[in-house]
Amino acid sequence: MIEIRNLYKTFGSLKVLDGLTLTVKKGETFSVLGKSGTGKSVTLKCIVGLLAADAGDIFVDSVRVDLRDRKSLFSIRQMIGFLFQSGALYDSMSIRDNLIFNLTRHHKVRHNEADEKAVHYLTLVGLGRSVDKMPSELSGGMRKRAALARALVIEPRILLYDEPTTGLDPITSAEISDLIREMHSKFGITGIVVTHDILCAGIVSDRAGVLKDGVLKYTGTLNELAETRDEDVKGFFRNPL
Amino acid sequence: MKRVFEQIYALTAFSLRFFREVFLPPYEFGEFAAHLENFGSRSFPLVSVIGLLMGLILALQTKPTLARFGAESFLPAMVAISVVRELGPVITALVVAGRVSSGIGAEIGSMKVTEQIDALEVSSIDPYRFLVVPRVMAGTLALPLLTAYADLLGILGAFAVMFVSGGMGWQLFMSSTIASLSVADIVPGIAKTFFFGYIISMVGSYFGFKATGGTEGVGKAATTAVVFASFLILITDFVLVKVGILLFE
Ligand SMILES: Nc1ncnc2c1ncn2[C@@H]1O[C@H](COP(=O)(O)OP(=O)(O)OP(=O)(O)O)[C@@H](O)[C@H]1O
Ligand SMILES: [Mg+2]
Repeated sequence: MIEIRNLYKTFGSLKVLDGLTLTVKKGETFSVLGKSGTGKSVTLKCIVGLLAADAGDIFVDSVRVDLRDRKSLFSIRQMIGFLFQSGALYDSMSIRDNLIFNLTRHHKVRHNEADEKAVHYLTLVGLGRSVDKMPSELSGGMRKRAALARALVIEPRILLYDEPTTGLDPITSAEISDLIREMHSKFGITGIVVTHDILCAGIVSDRAGVLKDGVLKYTGTLNELAETRDEDVKGFFRNPL
Repeated sequence: MKRVFEQIYALTAFSLRFFREVFLPPYEFGEFAAHLENFGSRSFPLVSVIGLLMGLILALQTKPTLARFGAESFLPAMVAISVVRELGPVITALVVAGRVSSGIGAEIGSMKVTEQIDALEVSSIDPYRFLVVPRVMAGTLALPLLTAYADLLGILGAFAVMFVSGGMGWQLFMSSTIASLSVADIVPGIAKTFFFGYIISMVGSYFGFKATGGTEGVGKAATTAVVFASFLILITDFVLVKVGILLFE
């Protein structure tokens, strides 16, 4: 379970989060929609303690996120898989080693087993034949998928995704969304998915909300969101075809 | 002015953290070995050329002066002492700083701006321990070796000048070189390069970690690191020479 209460965050004079509150129940997947620059990535980074909020509390499975408490931060990060918007693959390692590195270091999995898992998850995201490529040899979409595999491979209880399908073609997008849905229901994963891709949100999420003016406005099921009259919300549902 | 002091304070805190972390497990032996190799292979060709040139130039430059006083036979001693005590350590450190501090600054800087350091954090891998400690250890140990090598080449360069111009034999040259060098020249000369090696890797790492804002930030981290490292090397040299004089003479 992830609980965010009254989160505030400013950068200099720029107010990004202004009392954001959100509860994602165990096993639930929540999508965050919102225009560019509204603070979606910032919210995710606050949850894993990469950014310190100015005020407010975050609880991950009842453990409070507190940047000064290394021990609780460690136990929180142990439960979470994180997909960076930019991928953030370690560019000095092959993508196989990117996955193995996290597993053997952080999760104390033996090397053989880690290797098997790495190949398995890379195959799931359609990179089975590129496991030994370096990140610089991959296309943007391949990098995104490799980063997704790196988040999944640790088989965490909680997954946070920053735009998992951005930069992918519609077919791959749908496949990736299905994969996320499947993983979540199979392992009972709790998730937050930041996305602009309404089809993806539709596939993966139980509920969604729109981030605007530093708070989550209009939360509900996607169908409920689609009914609201707000122009900013309607914009996401405008069918491009 | 306040900014400068804040910067110095931050760099000091960042550097001192090394001494706490270096003794704590997990030890990154693999990383250490890789960076040692990297440090060496990046610097080796450059140091070879510079070391040789240093001896050649020094000998060419001082030979006429010494000849005027009929003291040409002192040349091996003069070159050996200046190279081993001062020129070898400082020139090697400055040259390597240009190569390695900028390299480390760019490497870590690009990891910073592409969120790879954040990714390490999220996986509970301490970026300082994983990235900084092995690099600084490698730098601290590699520079003394590179300096000793540069010193040798410098002396060889001087020999080449003496041989070609005056026909001085190898044996005579070496015996007067060895006779002129004492432990009090060699030990301080090499000892200070541990500090220089530490500075080279540490300053590169520090500016890498501070990089912000895309490729431009990476470039800035690399160049600032070289300037700052060179400056610190010279200041440290000054201080160490002073301390050496107070202690040993
Ligand atoms: N480390 C930082 N320092 C200063 N400002 C920041 C920092 N991180 C984010 N911001 C600012 O906070 C605001 C929200 O950024 P954020 O990355 O969360 O946007 P986003 O909603 O994820 O947008 P996008 O959809 O484009 O990814 C932006 O205006 C950004 O400039
Ligand atoms: Mg974002």
